[in-house]
Amino acid sequence: MASNAPFQFAGDSESEDDNFNPAPADASDDEQDAQVTQRATGNSDRRASSPAADDDQDDDDEDEERPSNSASKRTRDADDEDDNEGEEDEEEGDAGKTGYDEDEEEEEEDDDDDDVQHRHRRKRRKDHRAAFFDIEAEVEDEDEAEDDEKDGEEIEDFIDNAHPDDIAESGHLDDDRRHRELDRRREIEASMDAEKQAEILRARYGKRAPARGYGEMTVVPKRLLLPSVDDPGIWAVRCKEGKERDVVFSIMRRIEERASSKEPVPITAAFERGGPNSVMKGYIYVEARRQNDIMLALDGVLDVYPRSKMILVELKDMPDLLRVTKTPNLEPGAWVRLKKPAKHAGDLAQVLDVTENGLEARVRFIPRLDYGVRDDSLSALSADGKRKRPGVPGPRPPQRLFSEVEARKRQPRHIQGNPQTNTWTYMGEDFENGFQVKDIKIQQLDVKDVNPTLEEVTKFASGSEDGTENLDLKALAASLKDSNTNVAYVPGDVIEVYEGEQRGVIGKAVNVQGDIVTLRVTEGDLAGQTIEVPNKGLRKRFRDGDHVKVIGGSRFRDEVGMIVKIVDDRVTLLTDQTNTEITVFSKDLREASDIGGQGSLGQYSLLDLVQLDPTTVACIVKVDRESMVVLDQNGDTRQVMPSQIANKLPKRRTAVAADRNGSEIRLDDVVREYGGQQRQGKIIHIHRSFIFLHSNATTENAGVYVTRAGNVNTIAAKGGRATNNPNSGPDLSTMNPALKRNPAQNQTMQPPKTFGRDRALGQTVSIRRGGYKALMGIVKDTTDTHARVELHGKNKVVSIPKADLIFRDKVTGKTIDIYSRGGRGGFGGGGRGGFGSGDRNGGSRTPMGAGAGERTPAWGASKSTARTPAWGRGETSGSRTPAWGDGSRTVNPYDGNRTAYGDGNRTAYGGATSYGGSRTPAWSSSAKTPAHDGFGHGSKTPAYGSGGSDPWGSKTPAYGVSAPTPGASGADNWGYTPGPGGSHAYDAPTPGAGLGAPTPGALNAPTPGAYSAPTPAAISAPTPGAWQGGWGADAAPTPAVGAPTPAASGGYYGAPTPAAYGGAPETPAASGEIRYADDD
Amino acid sequence: MSENFVAPGQQRYLRACMVCSIVMTYARFRDEGCPNCEEFLHLQGSPDQIDSCTSQVFEGLITLADPTRSWVAKWQRLDKYVRGVYATKVSGQLPDDVRTTIEEEYRITYIPRDGSATEAD
Repeated sequence: MASNAPFQFAGDSESEDDNFNPAPADASDDEQDAQVTQRATGNSDRRASSPAADDDQDDDDEDEERPSNSASKRTRDADDEDDNEGEEDEEEGDAGKTGYDEDEEEEEEDDDDDDVQHRHRRKRRKDHRAAFFDIEAEVEDEDEAEDDEKDGEEIEDFIDNAHPDDIAESGHLDDDRRHRELDRRREIEASMDAEKQAEILRARYGKRAPARGYGEMTVVPKRLLLPSVDDPGIWAVRCKEGKERDVVFSIMRRIEERASSKEPVPITAAFERGGPNSVMKGYIYVEARRQNDIMLALDGVLDVYPRSKMILVELKDMPDLLRVTKTPNLEPGAWVRLKKPAKHAGDLAQVLDVTENGLEARVRFIPRLDYGVRDDSLSALSADGKRKRPGVPGPRPPQRLFSEVEARKRQPRHIQGNPQTNTWTYMGEDFENGFQVKDIKIQQLDVKDVNPTLEEVTKFASGSEDGTENLDLKALAASLKDSNTNVAYVPGDVIEVYEGEQRGVIGKAVNVQGDIVTLRVTEGDLAGQTIEVPNKGLRKRFRDGDHVKVIGGSRFRDEVGMIVKIVDDRVTLLTDQTNTEITVFSKDLREASDIGGQGSLGQYSLLDLVQLDPTTVACIVKVDRESMVVLDQNGDTRQVMPSQIANKLPKRRTAVAADRNGSEIRLDDVVREYGGQQRQGKIIHIHRSFIFLHSNATTENAGVYVTRAGNVNTIAAKGGRATNNPNSGPDLSTMNPALKRNPAQNQTMQPPKTFGRDRALGQTVSIRRGGYKALMGIVKDTTDTHARVELHGKNKVVSIPKADLIFRDKVTGKTIDIYSRGGRGGFGGGGRGGFGSGDRNGGSRTPMGAGAGERTPAWGASKSTARTPAWGRGETSGSRTPAWGDGSRTVNPYDGNRTAYGDGNRTAYGGATSYGGSRTPAWSSSAKTPAHDGFGHGSKTPAYGSGGSDPWGSKTPAYGVSAPTPGASGADNWGYTPGPGGSHAYDAPTPGAGLGAPTPGALNAPTPGAYSAPTPAAISAPTPGAWQGGWGADAAPTPAVGAPTPAASGGYYGAPTPAAYGGAPETPAASGEIRYADDD
Repeated sequence: MSENFVAPGQQRYLRACMVCSIVMTYARFRDEGCPNCEEFLHLQGSPDQIDSCTSQVFEGLITLADPTRSWVAKWQRLDKYVRGVYATKVSGQLPDDVRTTIEEEYRITYIPRDGSATEAD
């Protein structure tokens, strides 16, 4: 080995540079050298005699040396190579020995394959010495031969040339040597420290990367890129949330601006991981050598706060800062939720198509259109005078499939499309089959944790035109799978394993920890055992008939009901509250012990009116366990927490609004929407101009809906308040018998109290004003104020205020006053049996005779009795005046009476005078007539007085007078029931009386005397008749009435009476005479 | 001077190269092409190519001041690229034909920037 030393010098410089010259070159050279040496010198070298042994020795040496002195070996190797090169130089000129060489080679090969390797070890060693011999020529030929394959141009570069040539020739020979070299090299490398190694590697491969391009990058796995202490540090710096990107760009600008200046920005990088859902928002991360560099770099940059506390990111956390997770690919048919547009935020959408690069998806969803209804409100300024920000999602319209009709209604210009395919473009949006279709960037979609509820999905399914359900429950279930983790099992749940090895096992959960549920098996072979299963393959198990409650994940949350059907994990139940069938996933159910629909949450209960904000009120339409659904004044429903409710508005009973016709509407009135859907409902709340209605016709929103007060018509007002609109519905006041019997008391022009049948019924009337002015008709029905009149002219029944009616004689058409005293008589109708109709008739007629033929029939009919009296009087004596009915308006001007009636009673009184004048006889007589008394009806008379107040009033006095006389008896009569009274009267007067008995006196209209009408008192004749009948009929009531009457009369007319009196007394007398005469 | 700065108003036009993840405006891609990948993406003046090889969906902006010395750049395999703004994640996939071309003709291993590579690690 020592012999190598001298050569070291020669090759040293080269060897440094070219450490890795291919080994084969050496080998070939060695070989040749060795051969040459041997032969040329006839060497008696110690090895010459026994080359094989020599080789062996060599090998041994090497073997020994290898472990101990690898370094020196390496040196030697290098030397060898150097030698070779030197030899090659020499070889260049020599060309003589090739042939021999080849022979030699053959020999060697023949020798032994195994030997080959040894041999050239030996040779190599030799060639160090051989360098001193002239051996060049041998190689020369070889080289030339091989050179043929080589490019001529490379010839000059002999070093390079030589190597490949040799490889080709003797590749197999040097295999082993190369292996060894490799081994040695590895050892050396192993002995170097890692750093040097890295140095070498970098030197070797580093510079190649740029030339090769980008592909090389992937060679280095990420784990080799992990940060080290040599890398710059990363600090988290606070910045304004949402401004992360801007900050990054600002830093970029600063970096570039200062790049070529004296002091470039000292950071190496900065990045952000913002985003609305990121946990890293509000920070940017700056990579720099020193923290102070960051201060320098970020000082003065907008929206970033380097002076606040910076956080140094630990080395091991650095990779996590840059972690990216793949957004799952969207597949058509998948469900997603929309983030934008704001109006649809959170809505479910279905992917129809995804662009090739996966960046945009075409989705369909249910539009929220108001078809321009809210346009005004959008453009309007908000309360504080600022323009509403468009981004703020106001109350949004409910989800509803697109309706072409509605769209056309308001904005016909903005819609175009094809009815055949049912595709439309409306306001720049596309609609297909009622769904809105839109291309949306995937960053505006929520693709994870979509958790579509069955209800939402069902809306999509029912969208097909033929109404068939094309709901793919399997797809849905797939999309729900990942949400399975949300299922919470509670100890006690009965659970079924439907997946995995334990499939089919049923048990009761006894413990739940994380994803592992411990089951006590209740059925099958394993019964009694406790097993643990992951909750992935579990579902809750129910049986038909179980009473369950819906928990979470569903629109039906908190509904309680009974299970009617179970298919896999879909459970159909019949709800307690609404008796509707709903289908939910079994995971959303749990056994219920309570009954659903508590209906109240804290102080709020169903249908309460609550204040959401200063401008919004809402009606609670659904109450859940922790929240409630309210319908606000704009018709939108929303879910609110009790805490979101400002306060509860107490029900204001007095609230009044005006409907479309200006009629007042109050709570509990029944109204109907004008136009639109014509919904009808009962008012449950009135708030400003909004009214909340409740209807049992629909279950949507608990039957509650909201509309404007001006948009409804009154159907029925509570308490029978009159409605102005005759068409708005039946008049409740006419339907209410109680009302009919007790007419309102407060009318100014109150006719005498009437009892029983309204005298106006059946009357022929003409109408004084309004659209039906001058038409005639017959009163069919009445209330206090109105009468329903069947018109002669057209087949129609109209409702007319009574004040606008003129009552007319059926035959003559003359105006009459049905409410006159006579009318009262009418009360009696034909009833008064005592009198005998015959009499009456006769009587009445007789007197009337010519006077009032028409009346007679009326009488006879007795139907119109009420009228009769009036008639009679009217005709006969103009006594019509008294026609109370009209009080003020009386027919008969003559009579002060009438006047009196009006209420100037007293005045009327004065009238009495006149009365005395004109009509006197009749009147007086009747008034005071003893007949009265006799009749007992007299008793009534007074009643009259009292009731009638006016005419009677006048009469009353008379009465008073008569009182003493017959009056007494009259008094008695009072006590009598009508019947008896009648009879008594009958008797009293004797037959004469019977007939005319009262008559004479009766004269006075009402009195029985009237009856006697036939008698002289033709005048009163008819009247009385009327009376009689009337009384008879009403005998019973009369007394009752009578009772008050006297009192009334007293009070009322007490004062005046006397005055009237004066004249009165006489009259009776007169009448009395008359009567008698008649009787006779 | 600051060619890589993008005013907030212009940020809506930003796109990220799916190969090198550099973030620039559409106009710059069109006018100058991708500074790192132009050799094989040929984005310059080719809107179609820009549409298919760049993405407007990206997140996590990185401003690289010194790509050679930055660990962030190394980790993101951006250390051979030019200074500029890059994205940590670029959604979207390079069209198959482009990808094949890059890998076979240019011997470049394409690393998706949409996060799928990280999961593989």
